[in-house]
Amino acid sequence: MKKIISLILLLFINFNFASIATDSSAPSFELLNSYGKKISLDNFTGKTIILEWTNHDCPFVAKHYATGNMQSTQKQAKDQNVIWLTIISSAPGTQGYVLPEKANELSSSRDALPNHVLFDPDGNVGRMYGAKTTPHMYIIDKKGLLRYQGAIDDAGGKGFWTKNLFEADNHVKDALSKLQKGEEITTKVSKPYGCSVKYKG
Amino acid sequence: MQKLYTIVSSLKLGVLFFLISFFVPTSFGDSYFDAGQSSIRLISESYQIDAEDTLLVGLEIKLNSSWHTYWKNPGDSGEGATIKWDLPEGFEASNILWPGPERIPVDPLMTYGYEDQVILLTKIKSPQDFSDTLTISAKVTWLTCKEICIPQEGKVDLILSKGPKEKSKFYKKLNDVSTSLPIPSLQSSRVVVINNKIFLQFEDLRPKDLSEVYFFPNDYGVISYVKEQKLEKNNKSLSLELSPAEIQIETNKLRGVLKIKTPTKEEFYEVDLPLGNGAKSSELSMSLLTGIFFAFLGGIILNAMPCVFPILSIKILGFIEQSRGSRRKLLHHGLIFSAGVLTTFLIISSLLISLRASGEAIGWGYQLQSPWVVSTLIYLFVAIGIIFMGNIVLGSRLASIGVLGQGRKDLMSSFFTGVLAVIVASPCTAPFMGPALGLALLQPGFKSIAIFLALGIGFSIPYLLLSIFPQFLSKLPKPGEWMQTLKQIMAFPMWASALWLAWVLSAQVEIQTVFEVLIGALLIALTFWMLDKTQGSSIPVKRLTLALSLGLISVSFWLLPLNASEQTFKPMEATNSFSLEKLNSLRIEERPVFVNFTADWCITCKVNEAIALDQQEVKDLINKKGIVYLKADWTRKDSEIANILAEYGRTGVPLYLLFPSKGDPIILPELLTEETLLAFLNEIN
Repeated sequence: MKKIISLILLLFINFNFASIATDSSAPSFELLNSYGKKISLDNFTGKTIILEWTNHDCPFVAKHYATGNMQSTQKQAKDQNVIWLTIISSAPGTQGYVLPEKANELSSSRDALPNHVLFDPDGNVGRMYGAKTTPHMYIIDKKGLLRYQGAIDDAGGKGFWTKNLFEADNHVKDALSKLQKGEEITTKVSKPYGCSVKYKG
Repeated sequence: MQKLYTIVSSLKLGVLFFLISFFVPTSFGDSYFDAGQSSIRLISESYQIDAEDTLLVGLEIKLNSSWHTYWKNPGDSGEGATIKWDLPEGFEASNILWPGPERIPVDPLMTYGYEDQVILLTKIKSPQDFSDTLTISAKVTWLTCKEICIPQEGKVDLILSKGPKEKSKFYKKLNDVSTSLPIPSLQSSRVVVINNKIFLQFEDLRPKDLSEVYFFPNDYGVISYVKEQKLEKNNKSLSLELSPAEIQIETNKLRGVLKIKTPTKEEFYEVDLPLGNGAKSSELSMSLLTGIFFAFLGGIILNAMPCVFPILSIKILGFIEQSRGSRRKLLHHGLIFSAGVLTTFLIISSLLISLRASGEAIGWGYQLQSPWVVSTLIYLFVAIGIIFMGNIVLGSRLASIGVLGQGRKDLMSSFFTGVLAVIVASPCTAPFMGPALGLALLQPGFKSIAIFLALGIGFSIPYLLLSIFPQFLSKLPKPGEWMQTLKQIMAFPMWASALWLAWVLSAQVEIQTVFEVLIGALLIALTFWMLDKTQGSSIPVKRLTLALSLGLISVSFWLLPLNASEQTFKPMEATNSFSLEKLNSLRIEERPVFVNFTADWCITCKVNEAIALDQQEVKDLINKKGIVYLKADWTRKDSEIANILAEYGRTGVPLYLLFPSKGDPIILPELLTEETLLAFLNEIN
């Protein structure tokens, strides 16, 4: 009987690409970090959290790191005591998939400031959050509500490659400042831009 | 390539971007630039240009095999190309004129772009005065992707001289691209939002052999890129069902490019339509919860329908006898039965959903349009009748295939009764079910399944309640001879249902075929009688009977009519339901008549009803003008209606006919709006 019920329930689970509505609660997950430790979203209850989907070989990500734009965003997060989780959903064998040592090396060589680099080789967390591109950013507030999702800034689109990223409107920095001041976030959603996340096929 | 790229990316990236931003490699002479995975060049329709003239110039991007570049809206990831023009003074360049893209799926994402090659057109306008020879250059940045993406940048030039335009060898190529660009205006079209689905509908007068219709949105956050777009083909219009974006951004516009592909060519149309909300009609504005509730009610009522009632009543009595004394066992039976019902409903709903996804316009009752299904049901009902007359326990034969203990066997039997109950219920529609199921078919998959499950739960709940509270049945006399008698009596409604189905069949196929099916039914009756009779016999006799039965069953199945043909099925009687007789007599009385040819599974019809026909102003005008409103329901295909549709050159619904009190009817457009409908109604005397 139990089996039948679970079979029926199984049919309701949406295996497809999901997404989470802005201002609704962010689902928890547990992934291994680059030191082999299990990190759960629940570890950071009561704190603001940023999720950054990355793939260091993606030219869009590379530009954000090469110019220091991503690090400067991470710096503001750190100053505000915000937890920064960098997530790699590249499947093994695809672009951006790295071993833990390489991930740590990337963090130090690029002066990146994530609290943890997390591995999602099955792509389950990426699919759950509907992460489409690298970079793709999410901000979860202290109450566990998803407050921002989309691009890091408005530099995407025409002329991205020649733009000075520090002159762009950084949606993440903006949202973080507004959250700290307790103001309403103006841009809650934006179109993510970049390379596609290299999910397991 | 991957290797090369890795080497490149492991260079100090800052340096790389510095280079990309400031050092732009230039092409040599022939305006050609090779970037490795792709190359670009500038071509022109003419290499001479007059004063105050317009020149069509193309940026040709050639990509290595299996690499692609993007459309202006790249979809879920990527980036369209940008061109920065360096023009002599006074010259002006238009925006890029993008050819229609193709879909490039990157599971689980969807991107839009071009594979192999693309020509991006630009119109260059010349001023009154300029020098005799001039160079126009384009600094191009574009993204070339396979699994990985590589940003590329290059500069290409075009050297022109002053003079009247002369067709170059690229003239034809560029003009071919130009004529294949999205055409600004789409035939009469509209967008309607109903039940959180976006319907893009437009008139299309071509034959129905379109092989693909797809809408490429311009903007992010309006419709989902990755979800399938469902096409409904009508006589002279098409309706494309779009799913809203996963993450939505408020907008009041639906903009993009519509691709219409026929076996011979591809066409693209610009779409720029206000994204209005569909007005409410009682049926379509029903919320999911109401739909579920109606389905639940409908399910309960379904139990009392003549095709289901006998089976269920027998089964209830049956398992009360089986599990006398043990309430636990009774509950088990109830639950297993419900599981059987729900499983069958799940299978049916997934089937309906997948059929709809493949473009079939179907609804509940659709199965009765197939003579094969109807004939099989006749066999089934006859067989059940015979079983009721004898002593075979339902489903036990099927269950005994597995190695199951006696207790398990009974449970399996309950499961199969559930399955059977749903199958025999399929010819019946109960009140409340219609609107709920209509709604179900407009919903995305899982909501649709929820409605079907509610129907299943409603269907099994009375049975389940009785198995939880058997005291309701305590007033019944003790099990005994009377149950046998009742069972036998119940065989008659089953046979009556079979007769009714035979009548349905007679409207679908030749009388000779009906006769063949009836012979098949006789053989089935004989088979089950034999099986019943030899239940207690020795093994050899049983084997012989089994062999004979298989033979008889094969013959009866061989007699089934396989070729489908159109069916006559009387639509439910309602005061305003259509019949040719009614129409003719109204015509003789010189009354104006409006006939709405519609069907439950026709989304365009439902949308028309919602935004035009059901509007109060329309209803008032119809009343005021004394127009008689007739509804011709083609949900179950009806030959009388089919004939009239054919008379007006239609093979399906919707069709709207407005008969003035005298003279020929006016055929209304397939896509009705409140304004057009009011205008037509006002026009007639």
